[in-house]
Amino acid sequence: MIYVPAFLVLIPVVTGILILMFRNERMYLLAFLAQTLITVLAVSYFFVFRDDFASGAFVLGGWPEHIGITLANDRLSMSFIFLTILLWWVVLFYKYEPRKTDHSFLFFFLFLQGVFFGLLQTNDLFNLFVFIELTTIVATVLVGFKKTGSSLRAAIYYLLINTSGILMFLIGVLLLYNVFGTINLLHIRDNMEAMDSERLVQLAYILMMAGISIKAAIFPVYTWLPKAHGAAQSAVSALLSGLIVKSGVYLFIRMNQMFAALSLDYVDFFFIIGALTAIVGVVFALSQKDIKQILAYHTVSQVGIVFMGLAQVDAMTAHGGLLHAFHHGMFKSLLFLCAGVIIKVYRTKNVSEIRGVMKTMPFVSAMMIIGMLSITGAPLFNGYISKSIIKYGIEANPFQYAALFAVNIGTAASFIKASQIFFGEKPLSYAVKKRPPYVALAILSILCLVFGVFFAPLSDFFFTVDISHVSILSARGILEYALYLIAGYLIFRLIIKKDGSLIQRLRGFRPSFETANYVFVLYMAAMALHFIVL
Amino acid sequence: MNPVLTFIVVLIGLYGLATSKNIIKSVFCVTIIESGVILLFLNFANYEGGAIPIVSEDVAAIVDPLPHALMITTIVIGSAVTALALIICIKVFHHYGSTEWAQILRREDVK
Amino acid sequence: MSRKIILVAALGILFVMFFLSMEEMEDLFKNDAKLYFFEHGLDDTGSSNLITAILLDYRLFDSLFEAGILLVAVSGVIWISRHDFEERNAHFMLDKYKTPELFVTLSRFVFPLLLMLGFFIILNGHLTPGGGFQGGAVVATAILLLYYINLERKTDISLIVAVVKFAYLGIVLTASISLITRGEIFTNFMAVDAPTMSKYIYIIALDILIGINVALCLWAIFTAFLKEGR
Repeated sequence: MIYVPAFLVLIPVVTGILILMFRNERMYLLAFLAQTLITVLAVSYFFVFRDDFASGAFVLGGWPEHIGITLANDRLSMSFIFLTILLWWVVLFYKYEPRKTDHSFLFFFLFLQGVFFGLLQTNDLFNLFVFIELTTIVATVLVGFKKTGSSLRAAIYYLLINTSGILMFLIGVLLLYNVFGTINLLHIRDNMEAMDSERLVQLAYILMMAGISIKAAIFPVYTWLPKAHGAAQSAVSALLSGLIVKSGVYLFIRMNQMFAALSLDYVDFFFIIGALTAIVGVVFALSQKDIKQILAYHTVSQVGIVFMGLAQVDAMTAHGGLLHAFHHGMFKSLLFLCAGVIIKVYRTKNVSEIRGVMKTMPFVSAMMIIGMLSITGAPLFNGYISKSIIKYGIEANPFQYAALFAVNIGTAASFIKASQIFFGEKPLSYAVKKRPPYVALAILSILCLVFGVFFAPLSDFFFTVDISHVSILSARGILEYALYLIAGYLIFRLIIKKDGSLIQRLRGFRPSFETANYVFVLYMAAMALHFIVL
Repeated sequence: MNPVLTFIVVLIGLYGLATSKNIIKSVFCVTIIESGVILLFLNFANYEGGAIPIVSEDVAAIVDPLPHALMITTIVIGSAVTALALIICIKVFHHYGSTEWAQILRREDVK
Repeated sequence: MSRKIILVAALGILFVMFFLSMEEMEDLFKNDAKLYFFEHGLDDTGSSNLITAILLDYRLFDSLFEAGILLVAVSGVIWISRHDFEERNAHFMLDKYKTPELFVTLSRFVFPLLLMLGFFIILNGHLTPGGGFQGGAVVATAILLLYYINLERKTDISLIVAVVKFAYLGIVLTASISLITRGEIFTNFMAVDAPTMSKYIYIIALDILIGINVALCLWAIFTAFLKEGR
């Protein structure tokens, strides 16, 4: 039982290679089998070690802890593992077509899962670097999988900017190794107070945070995300937006746990960055017309909200941020998958050309409406819960509250714009032959509802955090949501629909690669000035 | 060699990334940063009078073997990244007829 | 212009930070890990080359995915370079280059020597500097010289990749045998107190597998690029 973390990493990888070796019709069954096995292992591991995760940690090869590579789990990584398993099941169902198995896709897809498990469970900084880099490489291939010009363009942009960020992370690892004589994360955390070189550790913190910021796509360095997620195929976009971006959030939490004793004042800095990320993401999303670009920019803005929650001293608000990362994983994948079905039928991505989805595909549009209600934060859906916790945490500060309020209004406006596709009549010149992937969409939308209604016992079960103080049907919550909708509708009618020159310019704004790196260098310098000099 | 000097290699790579307008140049800048990082690691491990880390009877003090082992991994990862980046670069050139970032970002997808 | 000045200023800030923190570096270096490797490395793993000891035993998990990253890179390069549909400027790179005669003759002479050197490095990873990764790269260089000797040479990439997959599975299997024999995962399958000679079996087997993996991966990547050029 204790070796389950290693098996979780190996099973998908080996299955992927087997599938690529024997390009067989029945290989899809093997993928389902591996998924079942992983699910069983992970669930039983959770139940065995639920009370004491520290006893489940082990060193590969049985060497001393500061020499070997430790794999360990806690509630945070276990919850991410469950989210991973859920999303991989969903995408497997979504991509399943009898008699048409794409072996190469399955290989990269399963490899990504194994590598992501490794990233979540390892407690060794260099091993972490290897896994982050592997995630980047596999995700690059998946982004460019269609081999169209735009997807390859997005893939190389993604690969290069993420690699340069990760190399900064590696310099941080080196500095830490020199200070502490080990690269075991837990050892470094325990020795953090006893260290005698504050400046070196601060520099390491800055370089590592710079790399993680690129992974998490926060404000100045988010430019790769809309390109990559807009260009990839919808199933891959769902994975990248739902989960792989969250690796940045996960590492942010982990690293701040590790550097906790350093008592750096990261709260203010990352709150401002998070708020900027959220607002910039919403503004760009409002200007877009391509439905996948809209969703991708909303990933940026929702990650901003997550950071607004995480960068708080109050533990409950930080938990709200974490919870929002999970909820976002569910509803954003749902939205991307629905958008994928719609794009396939209508053969266009333009929101203003798609009309009458409600009539042609009632099931898909119902699912998509559930996703939209979740992301805008309607009561009874999961987005409402996490947004409310963050709202309670920051409402004492009027500026912070105003930022969150503005982002919520912008999100509502943007999805009112996107919901045009449901109405109107546009007869398709061809009949819709393919059945929509019922199972995949149904799983996600049901979970959106379940996590919106039974949030208190679920949070208690996974995180042992009590959030029963959130009331779903309070008058204030409903009123505020109505306010978002009304303000959003007004913005949509008065500003967005006119499509003025400002909005057109925003839509055409495409920062080139050197600008993205220029901003990255400035971002690092700004962090250095903020954390060391001030 | 001084670690500060090798850090300058990293900074040169960053400068190149922030100014070069060509995909291939950007790929090379990433490899320059990577070489800088590798040199930095080896610099820290190395010291005057340390023997190569192979145990034998007449060796009293060795240099730290861990950074060397880590750097082999980094070199392999770097070669994988470079190979992937260059092949995508060739494909992008086939699609757009250019390897300038500004031009390929401007041109709409033809297909 | 102002953009470059700001850029240099920002890089200067990073440089100053690094420079200042280096002053604390002098007597800070903690060498617990180094001393541990020096004292226990040979007894624990049976390899006098401590770098091989770390790569193949203490941190085998890294090396597994190091070989895996090559596998992914090869699959990715081959997937992306496959011509599924027409591209616009695909005809521009025709091979008009002719290798000089002197180079061909020299390559013929160097090829066997390089191959031997590669095998030597792979097989003696535990005694002398080297190991699977380094030796594999040398072997790959030797194989690539064949392309200079005969430009018309054809290689079946799919066969190479099939062998690579088997080699990778072999690495994973060899690494996990220890779970059965010793109850520890990803280490030498011989017991820690076994004689050094018997530990060599594991190190040499793994080195050969990694060598095959690396050499074939680099070969396949290079061939994919050549195909792109023709």
